[in-house]
Amino acid sequence: MIKISKLDAYYDDFHVLKNVSMEVKKGQIVVMLGPNGHGKSTFLKSICGLVNKVTGHIEYNGENIAGLGAEKLVNKGITYIAENRELFPEMTVLENLKLGAYSKAARPYEATNLEKVFSLFPRLKERKLQLASTMSGGEARMLAIARGLMSNAKFLAIDEPSLGLQPNLRDEVGRIIREINSQGMTVLVVEQNIPQITELADKLYVLEEGRISFEGTKDEALGNDHLKEIFLGM
Amino acid sequence: MLIEIMDVIISGLINGSVYALMAVGLTLIYGVSKAFNFAYGSFYSMGGYIAFLLFGVAYFKNYLVVFCLAAPVLLVFGFFIEKLLVAPLRKRDDWEIKVMMITLGLALFLDNSYQVVFGARMKSLPSILEGAFEVGDFILSYQDVVIFVLSIGGILLFRWFLNNTRTGMSVRAVAQNPAGAQIVGIPKEFVFAATFAISTVMVGMGGILLAQKYFVTPGGGWNILIKAWVITAFGGMGSIKGGLYAAFIVGMLEAFVGWQFGMNWTLIALFAVLLTTLAIRPQGLMGKWG
Repeated sequence: MIKISKLDAYYDDFHVLKNVSMEVKKGQIVVMLGPNGHGKSTFLKSICGLVNKVTGHIEYNGENIAGLGAEKLVNKGITYIAENRELFPEMTVLENLKLGAYSKAARPYEATNLEKVFSLFPRLKERKLQLASTMSGGEARMLAIARGLMSNAKFLAIDEPSLGLQPNLRDEVGRIIREINSQGMTVLVVEQNIPQITELADKLYVLEEGRISFEGTKDEALGNDHLKEIFLGM
Repeated sequence: MLIEIMDVIISGLINGSVYALMAVGLTLIYGVSKAFNFAYGSFYSMGGYIAFLLFGVAYFKNYLVVFCLAAPVLLVFGFFIEKLLVAPLRKRDDWEIKVMMITLGLALFLDNSYQVVFGARMKSLPSILEGAFEVGDFILSYQDVVIFVLSIGGILLFRWFLNNTRTGMSVRAVAQNPAGAQIVGIPKEFVFAATFAISTVMVGMGGILLAQKYFVTPGGGWNILIKAWVITAFGGMGSIKGGLYAAFIVGMLEAFVGWQFGMNWTLIALFAVLLTTLAIRPQGLMGKWG
């Protein structure tokens, strides 16, 4: 579904991603791990049209999308869910969700997607008239994921969904990712540590200092001494 | 005495309502795009001159027709000014200062164009509604009532637009979180231009409303620009609610100071109040820190 070859990305003059190649197949959950500050967020943002300086090739369903802006990509079904949520604080939960369906492709499905999202996140339905700024960290994270689902995406890029969440909420996030994946969503998740989410992964990548340092299945990852060292301290 | 005070309050309310309409537009541009528009006063005069043209040359003699024709002209004008002059600067370093300079240049260009085309003499517009009525002991003109109702109506319409239309919601989204707006696929450039265009309509409409009472002159917008900025800073940069309160406070202050000390003192009083407020609350009445 998404095939990235020789991707380089820059923030101002800082060379963040170096020659990154990877692939996510339709219907997969792919997890990219890596220490903090090694370019994982930049990688997701580059795919989703949120980084200005990108070179290389990003193929989405056979079309090169490198260099297209987010407003075009959201319309094509590629949606980014931010690690720091990026909600609209002075708007209600419902308004945040409606803006999630801003793109032309999502508008006809707004009502059905809203129903779907409310059945995935009953808490949001209860709080639909509450301002986003008054929600707890966990609820805000759920709202960010829910808003991403409103875009009628085919491909979700989720940035550190379990960061700062209590263990029970992490499980909840994992359950939701599994559920939307079983309904056909292709998902690329980046995480800092090896969390529960790794259990869901069809494929794992590790990004260190802007380069891919490992690619393989989770069993291969668990047998890899270098990965054990950097993630588990063993 | 009582009647005099009531007159002053009414005058403050009416001017305050038009100021509110205009200041909300300026606050909106700042809140959404962080741009300072120094040509805002000249857009005010443009409203007055468009109305003057329609009344004088084309003989429409009807404010309904004038509003219906002037609004789209101002909307398109504002949209293209943003696209042509402001948007290209936004990609550069220190773009805020460059936008100030270019809108200042635009203001001088427009004001001098008005003088070349219409001459330096003041132009008057007919009253929107003649006559007056008595409430108890004091007299209220229909004109004042209509100006007040239209200004408040304009603000309510704008509020409805922000809360209930897709474009309005995207304007609020960009103001509250530009990064979030980009993530959901809102085209920021379009929102900036649309905001600029809508604020141009708001100040131009204010120009038509106030021109009936204060005439249209080539440099008449500067006073309005200063007041709109005072209101915006006083209310809290980017806060629409703060701007509304500030507009009525400024309208009242002006009316009372003008009545007690003469009109020459009104601007001095405005700045005294603004500076005192900012010394105590640097973020303005309803503004946020940072």
